[in-house]
Parts: sequence; C-alpha cells; structure tokens
Amino acid sequence: MSEEYDNNKSYQAQSSEVLDGSAGSINPDMDYVRPAEIPEQDLYHAHSFIEKWIFCQDAKVIGVQYFLTAVFTGIVGLILSWLMRLQLGFPELAGFMTAEHYYQFVTMHGMIMVVYFLTALFLGGFGNYLIPLMVGARDMVFPYVNMLSFWMFFVAVAVLMASFFVPGGPTGAGWTLYPPQTILEGTPGSGMGILLMLISLSLFVIGFTMGGLNYMITILQARTRGMTLMRMPLTVWGIFTATVLAMLAFPALLVSAIMMTLDKVLQTSFFMPTILKAGEVLEYGGGSPILFQHLFWFFGHPEVYIVALPAFGIVSDLISVHARKNIFGYRMMVWAIVGIGGLSFFVWAHHMYVSGMNPWFGFFFATTTLIIAVPTAMKVYNWILTLWRGNIRINTVMLWCLGFIVTFVNGGITGIFLGNVSVDVPLSDTYFVIAHFHMVMGIAPLMVIMGAVYHWFPLVAGKMLHEGLGKWHFWITFLGAYSIYFPMHYLGFIGVPRRYFEMYDSPYMTSAVGMNEFISIAAFIVGAAQFILVFNIIKTLKTGKKAEQNPWKANSLEWYTSTVPPEHGNFGERLPVVHRWPYDFSVPGAKDDFIPQTTAPSEVANTEVEKT
Amino acid sequence: MSEQKIDGFELKPGFKGMASDTGSDQTMFKGVHWGKAMMWIFLLSDTFVFSCFLISYMKGRGSTIVDWPNTSEVFSLHVGGVPVPLLLIAIMTFVLITSSGTMALAVKYGYEKNRKMCGWLILATAVGGLTFVGMQVFEWSKLIHEGVRPWGNPFGAAQFGSFFFMITGFHGFHVSIGVIFLFIYTYKVFAGHYDSKKRGWFTKMKGDYVEIEILGLYWHFVDLVWVFIFAFFYLW
Amino acid sequence: MHAGIIFLLVIVGSVLFHIFTPWYWTDIASNWGGMDSTITLTFWVGGGVFVAVCLFMVYCVFRYSHKEDRRAEYKPEDKKLEKILTWATTLGVAALLAPGLIIWNQYVNVPKNALEVDVMAWQWGWQYRLPGADGKLGTTQVRNIADNNPFGINPDDPFGKDDIMIESDVINLENNRPVKILLRSVDVLHNWYVPQFRSKMDAVPGTVTFYWFEPNKVGEYEVLCAEYCGVGHYAMRGGVEVQDKADYEVWLSEQETFQQLSARYEKLNLDGNKLAKK
Repeated sequence: MSEEYDNNKSYQAQSSEVLDGSAGSINPDMDYVRPAEIPEQDLYHAHSFIEKWIFCQDAKVIGVQYFLTAVFTGIVGLILSWLMRLQLGFPELAGFMTAEHYYQFVTMHGMIMVVYFLTALFLGGFGNYLIPLMVGARDMVFPYVNMLSFWMFFVAVAVLMASFFVPGGPTGAGWTLYPPQTILEGTPGSGMGILLMLISLSLFVIGFTMGGLNYMITILQARTRGMTLMRMPLTVWGIFTATVLAMLAFPALLVSAIMMTLDKVLQTSFFMPTILKAGEVLEYGGGSPILFQHLFWFFGHPEVYIVALPAFGIVSDLISVHARKNIFGYRMMVWAIVGIGGLSFFVWAHHMYVSGMNPWFGFFFATTTLIIAVPTAMKVYNWILTLWRGNIRINTVMLWCLGFIVTFVNGGITGIFLGNVSVDVPLSDTYFVIAHFHMVMGIAPLMVIMGAVYHWFPLVAGKMLHEGLGKWHFWITFLGAYSIYFPMHYLGFIGVPRRYFEMYDSPYMTSAVGMNEFISIAAFIVGAAQFILVFNIIKTLKTGKKAEQNPWKANSLEWYTSTVPPEHGNFGERLPVVHRWPYDFSVPGAKDDFIPQTTAPSEVANTEVEKT
Repeated sequence: MSEQKIDGFELKPGFKGMASDTGSDQTMFKGVHWGKAMMWIFLLSDTFVFSCFLISYMKGRGSTIVDWPNTSEVFSLHVGGVPVPLLLIAIMTFVLITSSGTMALAVKYGYEKNRKMCGWLILATAVGGLTFVGMQVFEWSKLIHEGVRPWGNPFGAAQFGSFFFMITGFHGFHVSIGVIFLFIYTYKVFAGHYDSKKRGWFTKMKGDYVEIEILGLYWHFVDLVWVFIFAFFYLW
Repeated sequence: MHAGIIFLLVIVGSVLFHIFTPWYWTDIASNWGGMDSTITLTFWVGGGVFVAVCLFMVYCVFRYSHKEDRRAEYKPEDKKLEKILTWATTLGVAALLAPGLIIWNQYVNVPKNALEVDVMAWQWGWQYRLPGADGKLGTTQVRNIADNNPFGINPDDPFGKDDIMIESDVINLENNRPVKILLRSVDVLHNWYVPQFRSKMDAVPGTVTFYWFEPNKVGEYEVLCAEYCGVGHYAMRGGVEVQDKADYEVWLSEQETFQQLSARYEKLNLDGNKLAKK
C-alpha cells in the first residue's frame, strides 16, 4: 500500500515555519500565507507500462495523449484542405474529384479543425498539461475521470475517421450540418456518414464534459497556498473561461445531435418540414429547420471563443515572458476574458442574419456583437502595450506571438464587417466569411499553438527545439497563411459564394482564376512547412540540446517543478507557496529581471514591487 | 481528499468580503468537497441540456399547424371504465418525490455513520427509482399500444410522440443511471466500504460518506427536472 | 531587426494590395448603395486601426528589442490610458454600428408599392411567379405541387387563378421599381443571391421569407445560390433581366396565368387520351 500511494502527508506549513527561511531583518508578517485548507491529494502511482503510458491517470501524460491525437486529426484536416485547394486552384489536375468528394472534404475539414483539432488541443492538450502545474496542484482532481475523458475523445475520433470508410463516405453537409439537406439524399454521406458524425459529436461532448469538470474544479478548488484568483497566469484564466463556455454550450450541440439522429433514424420531424423530393412528398412534416440553426449556433458561437480564449491567455503569457515585461493591465485582461465569455452567449444569431429568422433579431444581435468588439480590442491594446518599453527577445516564440497579433487584428476587424448586420448581407456566405474566420480562429490560434509548442517544449521534453528551423517554420507559415487569407477577402467582395465546387463560366470567378491558383500554391507550401516542426521535434528528441530548468526565465509555477520534465505529482515533497502574480519581470531594484511566483516578499524586500 | 479543514478561515461580511473570499487562494467555495463541486457544475451543464430539450419542445409545439393532442385524454388511465386524467403520472411523481425524501434521510444517516439506516434508505430510494422507471415503461407501452409513435400518432401533431419519447426517454435514462448507482452504493454502504475507507475498484480512490450526498444531489436534480417535464407535458 | 522589416513590408503590402487590387465588388445595380458605403466606412476605420496597431507593434520591435543591459519598464497598470482606450473604442464601434442598423431598418421594412415576386427554390433550380391583375398571390401548399401546378397553388383560392407563372429560370424585373422577393423552398435551404443587388436571404422550407431591393440598372444578371443545398449547389443558377417599363410590360403580357396553364394541361391530357384511344 505505502508504495502505491502517497501516505497522506498532511503537511501544514505554519507561518512560523515560513519565516524561518526568510531574512530576519524585515517585518515578519509580510511573508504570511494562510495554511493549507485541503489535505494532500491522494495520488495513485502507476506501476505498469499500460498504467503509465496508455490508461494513464497523470494529467501530463493525458495532455500529451490529447495533443498527439488532436495533431493526428489536424494532419488529416490539413490533407483535406490540400485536396480542396487542388480542386479550386487547379481543377484540371483534380480529375479524380467529384463534387461529392469535394463537399465531403469541406465538411470533414471544418469539423475536424474546429472541434477535434483546436478544441481538443487547447483544452485537452494544453489544459491538461498546464492547469495543474500552473495552479500548483499535484494532478487534476479526478484523475480517473480525466483518463476516461481522453479515451472517450479517442473513441470519438475513431468513429469520425471510420466514417471515411463506410458506404457513401463521410457526411458532406458542411460543418454546420444544416437540416433538412444534411439527412436527405442529394447531400453526400447522408446515410451512414452523417450518423457516424452525430455519434462522434455526442461522444466528444460526453468526453469533454468529463475533462471540463476536471479543469474547472482543479482551478476553482485545488490551487496551492497563496494562489489567489488574481495571481493565476492568464493561460489558466483563458482555459478556465473557455471550459465554462464549453460546459454550457456543448449541451446545445448534444441536444441538436440527438434530435437530428432521431430525424434520421426514426423519421421524427424536429427539424424537417414538409418536403418534396423528386416529385414525392416525404414522410416528414411540421418541423423547423431554423430551430436547428439556433441550437447549433448557441453552441457554435461560444465554440469560437472556446478556441480563442485559451489562445488569448497563452499568448499573453508568452508575450510577457519574452518581452521581459509584466502583462499590461492584468485585471483588465482577466475581466476582458470573462466578459467576452459571458457576452458570447448572447451573440449567436449573428450567424443567421440572412437565415430567414425574424428580421428584428438583427438589431439586438448586431448590437451585442459589436459590444464584444470592445473587450477584444482592449486585449489587443494591452498586448502591444506590453511590448511597448519592453525588452523584447525576438526569438521563435515571440515571432509567433507577433504573427498572432497581425492575423488576429486583421481577422478581428473583418469580424466587425460581418457582425454589423446590414454589412453582413452582401458578404455573408461568400469567401469573405471564409477568409475572416480562417484568419481569426484558424491562423491566429494556430500561431499561438506553435508559439506555445516552442515555449513549453523544453518543459515537456527537457530539450530545446532548434531556433533556426523554428524561424524558417514561422516565416513560411506566417507569410504563406497571410497571403492565402488576405487576398481571399477580395473574392468575397466580388461576391463569390462559398462552398462552390466549381464556378462554370461565371464572371465572378473567372476574373479570379489567377488568385485562386496563387492561393492554392500558398496553401500547399504552408501545409508542407508544418513538417518542418515535425522534423524539428524528431531531431531535437534525438540530438537536441538539453534544456536547463526554466530556460526562458519565466515566473509561473510550471517552471519550478522538482524535475524537468516534471514527474507524477509535479512538485516533489512540498507544494510551492505563491507570493505574487506571475508577471514580476524587470522589477526595479531586483537582482534578476524576473521574480518567480514562489519568491517571498522578504527576499526581494528592497525592490519596488507592486503588491499583487 | 477526504475531510475538509478550513483552518483559520472565516467568511468575511458584505459584498466586498464575498468578493475577497471568492478570489482568495486555494479554493473558491470554502470547505466544499471536490466531488460535490463537480456534481454541482455537472448539474449546471445538464440543466442546459434539459433546457435545450424543453425549449425545443415549446418551439416545436408552438409552431405546428396540426393540433396538439389533448393531453388530459391521451395520458388518462381507465379505472373501471372511467378515464381518470393524470392518475398514473400523479403516482409516478409521488413515488419519485418520496424517493427524494428517503435519499435526503440516507445522506443524514450517512454523515451520522449509521450504516444500517443509511443502507436501507438508499435501497428504498433505489426501489423507488426502479418503480418510477417501471411505471414509465408501462406508460410507454400503453401509448405505443394506442398507436403513438415517434414519427406520428392518431391524436394530432406528429411532434407530440417525438418530443414525448425523446424527453421522457432522456429523463428515464437519467433515472436509470441513478438507480444503478444507488444499488452499487447500497452494496458499498452495507459492505462498510465507507467506514473502512476501502479503495474503489475502478478509481482507486478512498470511499467516504460524502459520495452519498453527491449522488443525492444528482437524484434531487433528476426529481426537479421531472417536475418541469410534468408541468410542460402533462399540465400544458 | 529583419523581423520588424518583414512585418512592416506585410503591412505596407496589405495597403498597396487594397489600392491596386483588380478584384473588387461588381458595379452595384440596386438601391443598396448604403451597404457599400458602410463597408467602405468600416474598411477605412478598421483598416486604420489595423495599420496603426501593427505599425505600433513594428515600432516596439525596432525600438525595444532585447539588450542585456536594459530593463523593461515596470508598470502593471495605467488606469487612465485604459479608460481612454476603452471609451475611444466604444465610440468607434458605435459609429460603425449606427449606419449598419439604419440600413438594416430599411432592409426589413418593405415599401408599400413593391412588386411581389414569388421565388420557389428546389434542388437544384428556381421558378418564379408574379401576382396577376388582382395584385395578390394565391395561397399554396407543397402537397398540391404537380406538373400542372408547379407552385402548388390551392385550386380553390380565387387569388391564385390569375397568378402569372414564369416558365423559365430567368425573371424579368422593371427598372426602378421596388421588388419584394418572397422566398420559398420545397426541399432544403437555398438563397437567391444576385451579387450586383447586394442583398440576399435564405429560402427555408416550411415558411416564406422575404427581402426587397430596387433594381436601378438595366441589364442581365446571374442568380447564384448562396446557401449550401447539397451536391448541386454550385450549379444552381438562374437569371434576372432588368428592363425598362415598356419592355417589361411587353414581356409580362407574353406570360401565362395559372388558369391558362391549367387549361393547357387539361387540353394536353385530353389530347393524350384521344391519341391513346386512336
């Protein structure tokens, strides 16, 4: 027994104990941190290969599992996008591709990238790895449920991938799955394909709920001593708020998936009105297609922020660390994250301005949508104000952050076009929308993911990724991606509708053939450039330079573990005690240009640190 | 994580005090067991699931062209040839609410470490839940026998059957999950796992009587949802 | 250093691209010039913010890149600056929102004198119907749809008899006369979209949606489907021909009413029966 479990060492550092280590000359009360409220977590240590690496309960391993599975789906999504771009840019080379194939690729690309790649990567991957480390916990609070969460996600991915191999292929209904066409013939994959998609989504929601409960309770109830809410890194704030959104938004997806499954399998008519198909009136009648759209976007819009908020949080930390400057306006940043999260539940119908819903909704949703631009703009200002008067290391991580700012501001501003109801009318359902959301929730979060990979790789693997390769990776990706999506807005201005397999001889598209070829070539290059990272990781793991502890000189707790990479239980004998926020960089009077969160005030008594 | 200690922590008065307590270190909800907090948040999420179902139902019912079946006739039971509306459903509701009562008592005796009483009361709750599910099965088969199907029915709008089977089915699924856990917990209580702190078979975590309260939260929630379903389906 | 230069080139390139782009919107042919102006306004305000933010970022990269002997400034908050920025942004956003809402208000309020055009969408094509002499469209039902009744007009509805059925996927419109497009679909979602008119709305099965515009340029335009509707979505085209009043009236007089159409089909049936008997 004693080998398997930590003996509940209920260690309680009293204030006197802390004082022993401090310089005696100053006011002893300044280092006081309340004693532990909660006893040590009861951890189950794995003792077989399977328990350690497969059905593992350690959040860090689960995080890596999530990460790798999500990256696998991401690569599938990337290959699908290549095929789509081949058809759009060089249809003569894509003779093997029918319209059915094209629509299936479009659909699977969208669903994979939004749900199975970005959501799983940010919350499952970064969330699992970073939350316990950053808040100073030994592990997630329910390790077993956490493990189930990953395996549920794994099964969801397996079901999704299986839909490529069923008769009729995967669904080609567009990632929004709008009924009635989703489950009617005339849409590819309206048989088994859509069924597997709906099952997979339901499994994803169930799996995510298990994980989400863990993230929330770990952040709310298992922080270490001294870790107040306002001392949490913004990464944790971002992931936390995104998780709250997910817990409240995914139910709508689950419900719409269940109802659509019943429409498909049992011929109920939740979303199905009377339909005339090939001269025959179908069995359906009386349902409302718009109801589905409301349910879907009640999930779908918070989903955008489920992807964006962790990215906001992570990028704030990266910028702060590498600019050697405190994040500007931390409290504003926190409230902006929370505010954006809250508002995101009241803007969903801006996806439906031309859906035929009651037109009076337009006024309300346009207003709420543009209100959300204010906290978002504040975040942008604070990022660039963090750079201002900083001491900026222009390394790979910072480059990704700068790339994020450019693409995010660009995509955010086109969002003001689309959110402003009557401006949306000519632009909706055109390539402008495609360009907008790829820029703002495709490329921008991807920039953050890449920055985060370069930033935390030394922690996860204990080795430094190669800088030169990293810079090549960045420049090709950033310049390539920007030249894909910036010109694409102009296709939307022309009026080219989205989801067109080909354009015939419409003047709209023929004028833009050259642009489409250019975009496709850029897409091939950007996609291929991602394998530089794969190569870099493999090379680094084999021959890379060993990372020292805390190579970036950061303050947050994940860099102060007992070993690198951290072992099960994260912090060795004793949990760290936190005395400050994680952004005390370049404090006047301090010896180094950073003060770790664990440094007691008395140790840096003669610095001009502000109380946080 | 078995017992809670909040040494030296006193909740501060007023709104400011609340804000500073909430934002303080370690925990946001002082002295709340992790599992309990988890259940509350899960139930919040589940509330959204049921809300989406019920709002869809209201929208669906509000926008059908065909008349909605007369619920007091469709759901009535014939007792000696006389149709009694709401009879079955009244009994079902009574059983479920009663089981909530026994559940609450089980939690109380659990915390008092009264193993016997706690075990019997959980068993009673489980039996109550099982009765409810059984009566629901009876009601479903009665309706199916009368020709109500998810895709249509002889009484009116097709959506009646769709929503009825979907929502009561989803609720019944919740009750059934609860019943399974109630039986497992009955065993665990009688076997004394919570007294001996025996580790769980799957989770390898130590058992504690707080788990009964957590299950109780779930059970009361399922009850509460039933009240809404009752109101929206049978009284509207 | 080179990083800053490349970012600078990206921003300059974006601006130049916008100025010299050969790809921009089609010449407008309807009354919705306000939408274009709002786009232009949003473009300059938003574009200005984009350029300003990015230039500031590039400036920081040049000015504050890492030096061992320098320390960053330590200033966690600047309440005044944050307040100014918040209010400035709020004002800017409100200034963009206001014209958007004003035009939306016009968009959802159809002028009284608008000509109603019933557009029916199906996988994958369009059909049109105009009200007859009585100025009213007959009520319809999907179940009535047949070869001799392509719109499913209720045979008992007196308003339906004189409805004008257009046997073509091209509809003619009168120049400078507001049109209220009534959209219906018999199967899935569609969207009747003419880029030159700027306006669009989904056709939703089970309900009738609408929008309006006033064509103001004589010519022929292509209709695109702008809501994904299955595998034939990209090929679902139609046409609009905007004509002067005189030409339009000539065209209108050549169209068949519902009554005439029914009669023609009856005759066809009779002829068919006769042929069969012979």
